[in-house]
Amino acid sequence: MKIDKSKLLSFGDRYRIYFLFLAIFIFMSLFAPRFFNSYNLMTILRTVSMNATLALGFTVVMICGELDLSIGRTATFAAVIALSLQKVVGYGLSIPIAIAAGVAIGLLNGILVAKVKINSFIATIGTMTILQGATYTITGGNSVSLSGDKVFAISDFLSMPLIPMLPPRVLMTIVFIVLFHLFVKNSQWGRNFYLVGGNKMTAWLAGINTDGVTITAFVLSSTMAAIGGILFAMESSAATLNMGENSLMYVVSATIIGGTAMSGGKGGVLNTVIAVLSLEMLYTGTILFGWGNEVKIFISGLILASVVLYEAYAAYKHERTVGQRTELLKELGNKG
Amino acid sequence: MSEKQVNDVRALRTSRFSSILNNFGIYAIAVLFIIFGALLQSVGAINNFLNPKNLLNIVDAVALLGIVAAGMAFVTYSGHYADLSVPTTIALTGIVSVELLKYGFIPAILGALVVGLGVGVVNAVVIGKFKANPIIWTLSMSYVSLGIIRFVWVNKQIYPDMITDDAFAVMLFDNIYRFRLFGVISLPLILMILLVVAGQFLLKKTPFGAQLKLTGSARRTAKFTGVNVEMMVGMAFVICAFTATIAGLAITSLSRVGAWYNGEGYDFRAVTAIVIGGMTLAGGRGSIVGVLGGTIVIGLMNNIMTLLGIGTFSQDIIRGAIFILVVAINAKNLRSMGRDDA
Repeated sequence: MKIDKSKLLSFGDRYRIYFLFLAIFIFMSLFAPRFFNSYNLMTILRTVSMNATLALGFTVVMICGELDLSIGRTATFAAVIALSLQKVVGYGLSIPIAIAAGVAIGLLNGILVAKVKINSFIATIGTMTILQGATYTITGGNSVSLSGDKVFAISDFLSMPLIPMLPPRVLMTIVFIVLFHLFVKNSQWGRNFYLVGGNKMTAWLAGINTDGVTITAFVLSSTMAAIGGILFAMESSAATLNMGENSLMYVVSATIIGGTAMSGGKGGVLNTVIAVLSLEMLYTGTILFGWGNEVKIFISGLILASVVLYEAYAAYKHERTVGQRTELLKELGNKG
Repeated sequence: MSEKQVNDVRALRTSRFSSILNNFGIYAIAVLFIIFGALLQSVGAINNFLNPKNLLNIVDAVALLGIVAAGMAFVTYSGHYADLSVPTTIALTGIVSVELLKYGFIPAILGALVVGLGVGVVNAVVIGKFKANPIIWTLSMSYVSLGIIRFVWVNKQIYPDMITDDAFAVMLFDNIYRFRLFGVISLPLILMILLVVAGQFLLKKTPFGAQLKLTGSARRTAKFTGVNVEMMVGMAFVICAFTATIAGLAITSLSRVGAWYNGEGYDFRAVTAIVIGGMTLAGGRGSIVGVLGGTIVIGLMNNIMTLLGIGTFSQDIIRGAIFILVVAINAKNLRSMGRDDA
């Protein structure tokens, strides 16, 4: 049987993140010491939870063809609010307030981008600066930490496995992932994200409320960032001021490696989640090999750069042949 | 016929007026800030604002930002948003120059330039030729540079006076930031002014500038007109990397240490200066003199807030709010003139 090379390639391209995931998983399981055991795998799942939650919303914004640089700072801000207010009103009220803050930030971003028509890159740099200032003003530049039996009971509950390997924190993340996946792939609103990202004008002409879709995307992104930050802070009963900032690069890398294009209209949340998992396995692996932080940064930089380069090069080659009817050229070649 | 002529004349007039407003409106804001500062001083809320030494300090404090912004403005002008690899280029060129200081001052400078321009050329090829998304690629590039610094120097910082016994070379290196002409005007300030003048000339008075403008505002048109768009975009990134290298040398000379975190935050701060200075992300609009104005406004703003005793943390909130406000007004103005920049 003759295998169509181009079809194989496009298949590989489409599911490349799954291949990458399998490759890393098998490689690490075989070679990294103490990688393949339930404790380590659970640790990976727990570590991934926050970034995966952040990445869900960020991917939706990217599918819409926009960029949300404020997710990291939103996560920190929400975590700081939830923990600082816990001392006053308890988790019961502080968490809704922190999530509401996330929604408000998303609304602000969305309105700035969709209605005021500021480029999302610029608008979110602005909100990012404001959020950083607000976070540091609230905390006075120190990290917030909680103590007390009740607080520790909650954080223990979040991190203790209910079912083998799956603590509530991870289970919640899985629920979020499933919900997002179904929402984006199967609902009309979800498909609108792809349409708006693919071509805003066409989407508008087709009767889609493009502004509404964009604002929704930003609200989802900030809300998920807030939830991710809050859960992470609750689990560790502490919020450090750079916890979200480190996530931003991570989430951006994972989303790109997962195949969501910056130009919009392409990609999916599941791909992003798999990419987040792959990156985390890679990081854990480098640590288990006894390599330092510098190797981890070096490797992840190289992976991200080669993925971006490959995509740009593929698009470049495609553009050079676009308009040529390759099947006719092939026929000619076969005859000759 | 006459109606059309009238329309044309009016269009011409608005465009000239708006171009003046776009390019130099930022200086009106700067003057407003100075008047505001003077008022605060006359009320007695702040001291020493109008003192020449303070005013010189203001521009001195933003000289490095001005250098970076003057180069990055070319990237924005070419319609490619920003170069987020600038901070790590600053760090990389800085640490390379410190490392090479053991072979003397000149090799250190040359080495930094080679590395910096190398980063620029890589950006130029990937973004100019392969049309990678500028934000994503420069972000990856910054990751790669960071990885190289961390990998090669294994998380270490290096100090000029510990790397070499050549006291003269160290002295020269220290003076990149500290040298003062006539004991007053610092070298970074001189460099900033030189770069702004050169940049303004390049952008407005040369064929290169005209071609870059066309590339930035209408890439396809430029391509069909026969402009080598790939070269234009590439050159913009190389110029940006060049100014980042100069800033890298100056920042490293200032901190007297080569480390991976040198230059952190210069990407977004430069974008702020560029956008406040009237350059729009859509490309092909604005000027380097305007960007200088944006830089000066940021300096004035920081200075007044510090003199008022506003904490550094709260300053961020005000800075972010003013940034969004200025961009929003700018976007609205352009839209009402029928030039939607979305």
